[in-house]
This record gives sequence, structure tokens and C-alpha cells, in this order.
Amino acid sequence: MSSPPRISPAAKNSPPLPEPPIARIHIPRRLFSTLEGVFNEELFFLILSVFIGIFSGLAVVCFRLAIDWTHLALLGPLPQTHSWRLFAVPSLAGLVVAALVLHLFPAIRGSGVNQTKAALYIFNGFIPFRTAVGKFICAALAIGSGQSLGPEDPSLQIGAGIASALGRQLEISREKVRLMAPVGAAAGLAAAFNAPISAVLFVIEEVIGRWSAGILGSVVLSAVSSVVIIRWFLGSEPLFRIPVTTFKNPTELLAYAVLGIVGGLASVAFAKSIGYLRPRLKALPRWTQYFQPALAGLLVGLIAFLGAPQIMGAGYDSMDQAMHGQYTWKVLAILALLKIVASTFSFVSGTPGGMFAPTLFIGAMLGGAVGDLERIFFPQLTGSTGTYVLVGMGVLFAGFLRAPMTSVFMVLEVSGNYEIIVPVIVANTFSYLVSRGLQSIPIFDLLTRQDGLILPSLEENREEAILRVEDAMLSVPTTILNAEDYVDANARRIQDSTDSTFLVRMHPSGWSTVSRDQLQRFFQEGKGELTLASVLPPQSLPSLYPDLPLDAALRYVNVYPLVPVVNRADSRHLEGVVSRDSVFTKYGSTPTVAGG
Amino acid sequence: MSWTFPKLVPRSAPLILVILTLAAALAFAGVSHLVSRFTANQQALGRKLYALGLADVGAARYDDAIAAFRAALTCDATNSQYQLSLSRALRDSNDPRRLDEAESYLLALWQRAPQDAAVNLALARVKARRGSIEDATLYYHNAMYGVWNSDADANRNKARIELVQFLLKRGAPHKAESELMALATSLPPEPAAHLEAAQLFDQAQDYANALAQYEEVLRLDPANSSALAGAGQAAYRSGNYATAQRCLEAAVSANPQDADSRQLLATTDLILGANPFQSYISDAERNRRITTAFDQAEKRLAECAQQKGVDLKIPRTITASPLSSLQARWMAAKPDLGRLHSPGETDLPDSTMDVVFQIEKKTRDICGPPQGLDLALYLISQKREAASQ
Repeated sequence: MSSPPRISPAAKNSPPLPEPPIARIHIPRRLFSTLEGVFNEELFFLILSVFIGIFSGLAVVCFRLAIDWTHLALLGPLPQTHSWRLFAVPSLAGLVVAALVLHLFPAIRGSGVNQTKAALYIFNGFIPFRTAVGKFICAALAIGSGQSLGPEDPSLQIGAGIASALGRQLEISREKVRLMAPVGAAAGLAAAFNAPISAVLFVIEEVIGRWSAGILGSVVLSAVSSVVIIRWFLGSEPLFRIPVTTFKNPTELLAYAVLGIVGGLASVAFAKSIGYLRPRLKALPRWTQYFQPALAGLLVGLIAFLGAPQIMGAGYDSMDQAMHGQYTWKVLAILALLKIVASTFSFVSGTPGGMFAPTLFIGAMLGGAVGDLERIFFPQLTGSTGTYVLVGMGVLFAGFLRAPMTSVFMVLEVSGNYEIIVPVIVANTFSYLVSRGLQSIPIFDLLTRQDGLILPSLEENREEAILRVEDAMLSVPTTILNAEDYVDANARRIQDSTDSTFLVRMHPSGWSTVSRDQLQRFFQEGKGELTLASVLPPQSLPSLYPDLPLDAALRYVNVYPLVPVVNRADSRHLEGVVSRDSVFTKYGSTPTVAGG
Repeated sequence: MSWTFPKLVPRSAPLILVILTLAAALAFAGVSHLVSRFTANQQALGRKLYALGLADVGAARYDDAIAAFRAALTCDATNSQYQLSLSRALRDSNDPRRLDEAESYLLALWQRAPQDAAVNLALARVKARRGSIEDATLYYHNAMYGVWNSDADANRNKARIELVQFLLKRGAPHKAESELMALATSLPPEPAAHLEAAQLFDQAQDYANALAQYEEVLRLDPANSSALAGAGQAAYRSGNYATAQRCLEAAVSANPQDADSRQLLATTDLILGANPFQSYISDAERNRRITTAFDQAEKRLAECAQQKGVDLKIPRTITASPLSSLQARWMAAKPDLGRLHSPGETDLPDSTMDVVFQIEKKTRDICGPPQGLDLALYLISQKREAASQ
């Protein structure tokens, strides 16, 4: 069960949050009256999801063009080496971005994933349209000028912003408006990544934070329609040209496990750097925020100027080259390290931009470096550099973003190769476990908490101990009465018992209860020659199954003194009983998992 | 500052969907226009960068060319020509780490157009660079039978010639020979094409077919001195000494500076003058040649023994040298020489020359390649041996 969203006192210091437009949302009546029975709200919402996908896809197409155009205009088409542009452009663009963020678009700092999640859980799905516009402009300028950030998370927020604006205009129910943001987020991310399955999974793992069948259809529809749009305009070329990837010998899994451990450690270093620096930079005087993105740009530019221009921007071209063995393991390791530094400073400076691409970049370089290094010591390893690069991408994704399922599917979707699924799963699992062991809070949760918000997460749900009926179940009572027996026979059976309430087995099925006093009264009223079934009230007692959550028992234990727990295969077979005392005792003895 | 929008949409679901459809169509059209303009600009920039890359390739500046082609591809990611050129530059940059990337580009292109001969040829070259005979042969064949944009026959022959050269380089002359046979049937009636094929046959040690190709060149261009020399050499190596003599004489006559041909001609003259099995010579001449060969064999044996420090006067039961055995055989055959003129001794020329050939072969093994008349006798023995097989 998800924890309810809470706002901590730290929220007082966070940037101004948008006001939820509670007053503008109405339960629609006229909307569905025209063709009632054809356009119910569920169907309408599904159709709307397609439109959200289309609009988000179109926005992401424009966003990608804007980034490319900015890059060409500011940095030129050919790779620069030792040019003044390398540090001048991101620095000056950083100044402009800072001014825009501080004066026009205060809610667009950072990635956008946690803002979308906050919109879902706190602001009734409200994301100001201004945020989407600001994200578009500033992220395009920042990424196009070379800041070490990616376009995926901004695309996610742009999609969510468009969906939110559409939902508000249409005046559908509050619940649906709330769900608009993740539907748009999936569309934006799917378009940015050209990978619908990964986008759907990521939105479920990181934005919605729980598996919900109700929204899955809409999320899938929007993701698919946005991918159709992006492929229509920008072609279906994958992000990378995947080289031949192989996995021949199962013993090589050890090599991938090592990659997972190294990736997990790198993820922790990356996450801790951000977690440490971000609040400290935010706490500096406001005037410094005008210069933070510029200084981050200067740092990125200097790294590029000194010989590593690969770390600028999203870096997909460099990942592609790494995948095809263009760098030695030393260069790959250095690039991974420099990207961690560059992306950390770009991100903590408040520059709008995403963490997806930097995560993939670091993972790719690290994967290639570890793979090449392992092959030096163990030449019998058959995995190509490209295989390790691909697996490395998933490793960082699992360790840093802590989205294990998305990480696996992302690699499969990007590579289109199921042969490497086992190495990917093994390496990602190790990375995830190392990262979770060394950093208890996932990066996006950490960021929202630093902003003073505490939101539910899928990882939190996974960790939460779920109490079940069987945990509070008492053993089968020694005395069970039979409804077909006479009252006086049943009265004789309870003479030796000390219990006050007894279970009664009804015929042909079902259960009931009778108290000692009730049975005594039936006997005194001269009903001793009647069957118990004929004198008991006709309604049957509800029964539970052992695997149900204990919450399900709460509904009955206050009404009935004993609730039977029966076998799912045979409802006449009694597994045990629960009572109010047994349930409350169990809740009282189990520590709750706090969200904050 | 708060941005608010007036609520313009009606509250009827079908009408909303109609409006959304229209809005989507409008947005689609707008983005289409934007994308097409952007794409046009990008393509123009891509063409400039591509031209830059081609110039760099021309100047063998492969790193610059690769950077330019990569940049061109960022402008027009699906352009097959850019991808092909980039992959070629990657392949030709002599950096083995770049072969993977080149192959990846080419495989992507191949998946899109498996019939494209240029892509198959480029892939074949990558495979050839990796030394994979089977893969390279497969892609060369694909290139030969694939679709060429222009001059298909010439390109196919070029691809086959390249495959032959690769096979010869990798030490697979038999595979090269079969490719050459196919090539020979599809050559245009041009001296240069046949000359190249003849030289390849030469390299594959198929001298008979090489000679046929040289003769085809000479049919088309009788004064072609390369073909004359080549034909002479091919005929010489295939044991066709009469033809070799004719061609080599013509080659030396056409190009007196051709020392190789001159030397071969001298050897050929010796062979033709020393061969006792040659047709159309009299018995007397045959006997004279046998006697001369027999005497020459003795000289060769003596020289070789001296070179190796073997005393042929010591009985062969004491020394283990094979030269002593040969000396014994020669001594045993010598008394029979006088009977060469006898009409009943039909086997005597063969048995006598057999001793000569044994001496020439063995001394070659022990003392190195022969010269002059010894070389001629040795080559005659080789020809006899080949004919008897």
C-alpha cells in the first residue's frame, strides 16, 4: 500500500509550487450526455490518451529540432577541439538559462521527473503550461549549448505539461485529470527515447510509483502514439547502431556481475555527489543562482577544451562510437569519470535537463572500460565491447535511477537483441543491490525530499512488509457446531468448552456463529428439538482466505467476533479463524514502514 | 505570473474529439512544415560536409574525413551514401578498432538493401581486411551478382578480380583459379582486361590458361610486348618450349631491354637443343643429345661432389653419400652408351636419360638450382615426369 504524500517543513524553502486548481475541476455531467452509453469517461480517456501521445510526440519532435538547431548554431557542425567556443558557449548560455529560470520559469529546474510525480500526488495533476514552455526553451538552450544533460526527462515533463493543460481544459473528473500527467509523461519519454515499452515501465516505476491496471491502457496508448509520431517525422533509426552482441559462455556471467558491482558503486558515487552538492548550492544566496549554470557550463566547456568534447550534451554519438570499440579502456574510464563530474555540476546548478542520457553515457563508458579490462586479464571472454557497453547502460540505469525493470527492457528495446538478456539481468541485479545497499533512498526520491516533498515510490512499496490474514490467524477451534444438529445436542457439545462464541458449519456451505448465551436462550425457549439452522438468522458469515492482506479482515472483525479463514480450493475446509484481538495484536506488534 | 487560458471547448465529447482531431491535424501540418524546412537545411549542410569528407579522403586525411562524414550523418542520419563513405573511411584508416564501426554501418545498409552491390563490395573489403576468406567470398559474390548503379559488367569484373587478388594473397590459389575461370568467360574484348586476367592466372600458377589469355591479348594487339613476354613465360612454365621460344624471341625483339625474357629464351634454346625426346629429329641427333646429356651429368655430379666435399673415388659401400650411389649408377650405365646405335636397343635411350635425370634432380636437391645445360636437362626431366603422370 502506498504511503500518502506528505509535505515536510522543508517545503517552505523550496521554489514556489504551482497552486492546484481545485476550484476549476468539476464532475462532468454534460460532457458525456450527448452520446451517453457510447462515450463513457473511461472510453473518452482512452481516446484522449491517443491525442496526448500525438501532441506530446509533436512537441518532442520540435524539442529535438530545437536542440539540434541550437547546437549547430552555437557550436557548429564539426566537432571542435581546443576552440574557445567550447567553454564560451555553455557559459554564456548558462547565464541566459539562469535568468530565464529565475525570472520566468521557476519550476523548470532539474530533470522534471519528480515535478511530474509531485503533480500526480500533490497538485491533482496540475502542471502549469508555462512550465512545459519554459522547459522546452531552456532545456533546448542548455543541452544544445553543450551542458552535460539529456533531453529525455525534459521531454517527459513537456509531455506531462501538455497532457495536464489538455485535461484541465476538458473538465473531466479530478481523478482523470490527476492521471493526465503520467499519461503525458509516458508519451514524452517514449518519443524522446523512441522506446515505448521502457517509457511505460519507467513512468510506472518512477512517476506513478505503483502498478495500476486502470491507467496502464492509457499510458500504453499515449506512448505508442507518440512513438508513431516521432518515427513519422524523424525516422525509425535507433539511437545506436548496435554491433554484433554475443553471449556464449555462461561463466562469462561472472564478468558481467563484476560490471554490475562496479556500475553499482559508480551509481552511488554519482547519486551521492548530486545529493550532497544540490542542497548546498541551492542554499547559497539567490544572486549566485544567476551564475551557477554558467559556472557549470564553464566547467563542462573546460573539460571539453582540454580534450574530452565527448562529454558535452547528451553524448549519443560518443556512446555509439564506444559501442563500436573506438576507445581504449583507459579513455572509456576517463570519459565515465569526467561525465559524472560534468553532469553532476550541470544538474546541481539548476540547469534544466535530464539525467537519462548522462546515466546511459556513464554506463556505456564504464561498461566498455570494464569489459575491455576484463578481456586483458581473461582473453577467453567472448563478449564484444559493444555487448559490455550495452549491458553497462542498463547497469547504471538500474543502479542510479533505481528502475530495475525499465533498465532491462530499455537495453532490450534499444538493442533489439534478446541474446544478452541474461547478462543484462545479472549485471543490473548486482548494480541495483549494491546501489540500494549503499544508498537507501533512490535519486528521484532524494531530490523530491530535498525539495520538501515526500512521495510514494515503487521501491518503497517493494520494501514494505505486507501483513496477510494468515499472519493474524488463530488455529481451528476445538468445538465447531453443526447447523443440521438439534439445538440441545449442540448445547451438550459446548458444556466442556470455555469459549463464549462458536463457529457453526452451515449446509450445504457457509459459516455462521452462535454465542453460548444465544444457544442457552434457544434451549430455554423450547427450541431444543429444532435444528440450529432453523433458529439462526439466515445470513451467512463472510469468510477470508489466508493470503488476503490483513486490511481485508478489518472490515469484518468489528462486526463479527470470529471470522473463518477457509481454503481457496474448498470453502468448507477451515484453515483457522481471525478475531478483532488477533488482528489488532498483529498490527500492534509489526513496525510500520515510514515514508520519511 | 500566471498563464490562464479561456475555456473555449464545448462540453460534448464527440465535438471535443472533432476539435482535437482538427487541432492535431493542424499541429501535424505545422510540424511537418517545420521539419521539412529543417531537414532541407540539414541536408544542404550535410552535402557540404560530405564534400569536405570526400576531399579529405582524396588527400588520405582519414581522421578529418571521418569527422566530416560523421557530421554529415548528424545532418542526414539515413543517407546511405554518407554511411557508405564513412564506413569506407573507417575501413581505410588502417585502425583495426574502426573496422567494427565500419562493419556496423555496412551491415545496417546491407539489411536495408541486401542487393546493393556497392554495400556488398564494401562489406567484402571489411571481411577481407579481417582475413575471413569465407565471409569475404560471400560478400564479393553478392557484389558480383548485386545491383550496380552504372557500368555493371566492368564493376562485376573488378569485384571478381579483387576477390582473386585477395584469395591469392591469402594462399588459396585453387579458389582463385575457379574465380578466374569465371572471369575469363566474361571479359570484354580489350587487351588490358585479358592481360590482367593472364597475369592473375600466372599468379595462380595456371600457366595453360594464362597462355590462352596472353594469346587472346596478342590476337587483339599483336605487338603487345607485355603479352609477348608473358606468353613466353607462361609457355616456358607450362613446358611448351616451342611456343615459349617463339614468343620469347618476339618479346626480345620487341623489347631488347627485357633481360628476363632474354634469359628464359636462352634456357629455352638449350632445352630445345638438348631434348633427345623431341619429335622430328634423326636417330643420330637423338644419340648425340643423349651422349651430351650423359657427359653433362657426369660433370654436374663431379662439381656437386666437390662442392659438398665428397670423394667419388671412395666406394659407395664405405660412404653413405647419395652422390656416390649416383656415381655408381652413372658408371654402370656408361658401358651401354656404345650400344645406342644398335637398332634393337629401344629402351636404352630412356634408361640412359633416366640416369641423367636422376643425377640432375638429386644434385639440384643437394647443391642448389642448376644453370645452363643442367637447368635445361632438369626441366626436360620435369616435363617427362609430368607427361608420364
